[in-house]
Amino acid sequence: MKNNSFEKAKTAFLQTRSHRGLFTVTAILSVVYFYVIAFTFPVGVSLLFALLIAGEIFHVYQVLSFIFTTWDTSYLHKRDPSFTPHVDVFITVAGEEADIVEETTRAVKNMTYPDFSVYILNDGYVAKKENWKEAEDVAEKLGVFCITRKTPGGAKAGNINNALRETGWGEGNGLVAIFDADHIPHADFLSKTATYFFDPKVAFVQTPQFYRNFAKNYITRSAWEQQELFFGPICRGRNRFNGVTMCGTNMVLRRDMLCSVGGMSEDSIAEDFLTGLLLHEKGLTSVYVPEVLAEGLAPEDFLSYSKQQFRWARGGFDALAFGFLSRRHLSLAQKFQYFSSISFYFSGLVVVMNALIPVIFLYTGMIAFTVSTMFLAAIFLPYIFLTLYMIQLSSNFSFTFRALTFSMGAFTIHIKAIWAAITREKSSFQVTPKKQVEGNFVSLVIPHIAYIVLVLGGIPIALMREGFSASFIANIAWAALMVGVFVPSIYAALPSGAKSHSKHVARTVDKSVSVSV
Amino acid sequence: MENEVKKTEAAPSWISTDFPIILMLMLFAALLSIVFFREQSLRLDESQSIWQTSRTVMGMLSLVGKDVHVPLYHLILHTWQIFLGNDVAVDRLLSLVFFLLSIPAIYSLGAICYGRKTGIFVAALLTLSPFMNWYGNEIRMYSMFVLVAILHEYFFVKIWKRGDFMDWFWFALVSVCGMYTHYFFFLLVLCDMIFYFFHKEIFPKDAFKKFFKIGIFLIVCFLPWALFVIYLGGISSSEPALTAPSTVDLFNTFSQFLFGFQTDHLNTILVSLWPLTVFLGFLALRKGKGMAPETLYFLIVFLLPNVIAFIVSLTLSPIYLTRYLIFTIPSMYLFLGWLFSTYPKTLSLAVKCILIALMAATLVFEGVSASTPVKENYEEASTFLERNASASDIIVVSAPFTIYPMLYYYRGPATLTTLPIWNQEANGPIPAYSKDELVKDVATLEANHSNLWLLLSYDQGYQKDVELYFDTHYQKLYSDEFSPGLTLYEYKLRY
Repeated sequence: MKNNSFEKAKTAFLQTRSHRGLFTVTAILSVVYFYVIAFTFPVGVSLLFALLIAGEIFHVYQVLSFIFTTWDTSYLHKRDPSFTPHVDVFITVAGEEADIVEETTRAVKNMTYPDFSVYILNDGYVAKKENWKEAEDVAEKLGVFCITRKTPGGAKAGNINNALRETGWGEGNGLVAIFDADHIPHADFLSKTATYFFDPKVAFVQTPQFYRNFAKNYITRSAWEQQELFFGPICRGRNRFNGVTMCGTNMVLRRDMLCSVGGMSEDSIAEDFLTGLLLHEKGLTSVYVPEVLAEGLAPEDFLSYSKQQFRWARGGFDALAFGFLSRRHLSLAQKFQYFSSISFYFSGLVVVMNALIPVIFLYTGMIAFTVSTMFLAAIFLPYIFLTLYMIQLSSNFSFTFRALTFSMGAFTIHIKAIWAAITREKSSFQVTPKKQVEGNFVSLVIPHIAYIVLVLGGIPIALMREGFSASFIANIAWAALMVGVFVPSIYAALPSGAKSHSKHVARTVDKSVSVSV
Repeated sequence: MENEVKKTEAAPSWISTDFPIILMLMLFAALLSIVFFREQSLRLDESQSIWQTSRTVMGMLSLVGKDVHVPLYHLILHTWQIFLGNDVAVDRLLSLVFFLLSIPAIYSLGAICYGRKTGIFVAALLTLSPFMNWYGNEIRMYSMFVLVAILHEYFFVKIWKRGDFMDWFWFALVSVCGMYTHYFFFLLVLCDMIFYFFHKEIFPKDAFKKFFKIGIFLIVCFLPWALFVIYLGGISSSEPALTAPSTVDLFNTFSQFLFGFQTDHLNTILVSLWPLTVFLGFLALRKGKGMAPETLYFLIVFLLPNVIAFIVSLTLSPIYLTRYLIFTIPSMYLFLGWLFSTYPKTLSLAVKCILIALMAATLVFEGVSASTPVKENYEEASTFLERNASASDIIVVSAPFTIYPMLYYYRGPATLTTLPIWNQEANGPIPAYSKDELVKDVATLEANHSNLWLLLSYDQGYQKDVELYFDTHYQKLYSDEFSPGLTLYEYKLRY
């Protein structure tokens, strides 16, 4: 029974649906909602109103871009099962535990594909990991190649580029498959991905980044559920625009094309994102395979999760700084897709703004607009509920409360990344820990806790000023809503958030993985 | 022995477990009626029902035909009165019976859609609903409308779940009853049609043909009444004039469906909490918890009639009245039952308990509070007038249709009339108000009377004019408010 649910988890999020009638109604309602609040509501305090409108522009943009992307998620590229070129399989390692590397390498070796070589790309030495020799031991034990880099630079991208150089750089028509140390491929991974390269324009094929430990604890579950919306309808929708996002693992690339853009981009900590963009800029084709063909590990503690999210956000802003919007050779749709990916990380600013508006009211009585709270409800509730339902329906009901609250609760990470990008602060590439880091990470959610304190402190002030007025109650309810959204992040930061759900779940997951491998 | 075991297992479990619970809920509702609602004064609408049903059948049908209602409830009440008399408590008992029957009905609907636990939960909500308790104790068709709506929805769901002959038969029969219970029943039929359009695939193959035939049957059944109303010269309302609703009214309706009639202040607090509904929506984002067809149906039945009535009221003619939309309450509760069932167990239990506690508290408050806005204390006003108005005085009520409850209660020596002056026994609508007519009417009333008692309730847009006229022309001797919006003044006409 539990095995069934594990198997279901690997397919459910990919069974996307595009309800165009619902999309159309939601789009119209979003625009109407924005028009009403922007142009018909009497302005209260201009600054607050401007901030609110800016936030709503962002929200409506997100809704419309989601609709645009997922309007048709059925597009599939053609493949030729008889096309089986040579593949060099790279397993990137930077100090991960030997058992994890060994498990992945064994699975790679067991792939049913006629022509491939296996390389462990050992970056442990340059990453100054004490266990760096272990990767070499694993390679020797399993009879695969090991390339241990001795000259640092470029982090994971540097490691891959070094391996490309060691294996002939851009020579030949071969392919390169890349797996992170914890991403265990299924036996049919290559036979289901390399076959797309019969089309000479295809530069890379990306598959979903499934977390096999998703059921382990609150954080792994939330992290996976956040991924589902992206790897479900969004990635499937991007297939049709030739705008698939490269995700750095569980992917196959055409060696000569990769080398034609200088290998993996070493200019950003989101090397994959930028490399994909450069390949698209050359007019090459990307393919998303909507099937879980490899299984990795989600961050198991809040610190690791936060680091991973920061790396992605910072990488996104790097890409923005890269100026892709002005690049001539990207189509408008591709630019739009890349911008949509990056713009997600601006949501932290909007969350803060939405959270602060009721707090500002509690302390000062200032409001963004002077309209009946019921009128606002009449236009806001249909808009928000229809939007949520649309997302739910198109993701085959994979989008969850946990995913929503983790996205919103990550506002601190997003803002930190924005600040780091503005100040051009150097952020080093850090591999997401594959095993749980024990501890209490409350320091990561101090802003969330401060918000609750701020709300509680503001209540008596507003009560003395306003009494139980409609504005007071509505603002308290808004603040309570935001508190409710932040609480899961606080819970996740506590040791209890990283506690295993149950031994039974853990056992089941282990068993499922061994079955699937 | 083995057979015995099998028999026990095969026995429907709800008989042993849920039946006592549902029975307890029904007893509880009956008890509430005795404690809180039975002794309340007759209200305007109720007095109209009693007045209409006290005629001959044809006389009653004529009155109802000219009113904004259909006659099934009045016919049943008329028959009820023949056997049990027309005491207020006895007449209210009929509405209570409908309300009590709604409890097992909604349980059954909830149980076939979402399982017995949700069935019990929605039955508990209905039992504790301040709104339902109010109309379950009012001599009007509203609790019957709810029962018919639940049965209609039950057989509609049964059609797509099973679809045997009896489901179709009862669906058609209940629909005919619904059409003759309230004009707004057509909105429910519209919801059925829209749902069928979206979910044709879940219905039996020949469903369209059968629905079509039932549609024709309904039209044929309703035609006599439609022709009768046309023959009478159309609807000429003798009820309060409606005004175009605002969004506040819309949300007040939703609030009242859950928490009943509360004071403005409490109601403001309740409806201003609306942002929390967004959080309740967020909580429902659960993996694999999609919306079943039943849920979509209940959502349509809950929202669409409210929205249609609201939009029609804004654009064509005001028809928006919360009690007309009472039939959407079961679908609202069923939707909530589904919503909460999607939450994790502990959270679900907590949210359910909070809602039940809130509804129970507001029910008590609605029952005991003198400031409940819909309370109409004509009984106390009449008793006061019986004691204080003499034969040389005249009692004037405005708006004119508020004379019905006074006619029911008042047994004093003073003459009872209305402003504008209206003979309710004669055919035709209530005379329109004008300032000139007011002067003439007051001049007529002034003759031969020393004091005038003016009882104002139900402002039809001229209450202030009437009050101002008397204030500026006569000496005010007394004023008192007997219930919210029901005010009595005494003026000296002659010395």
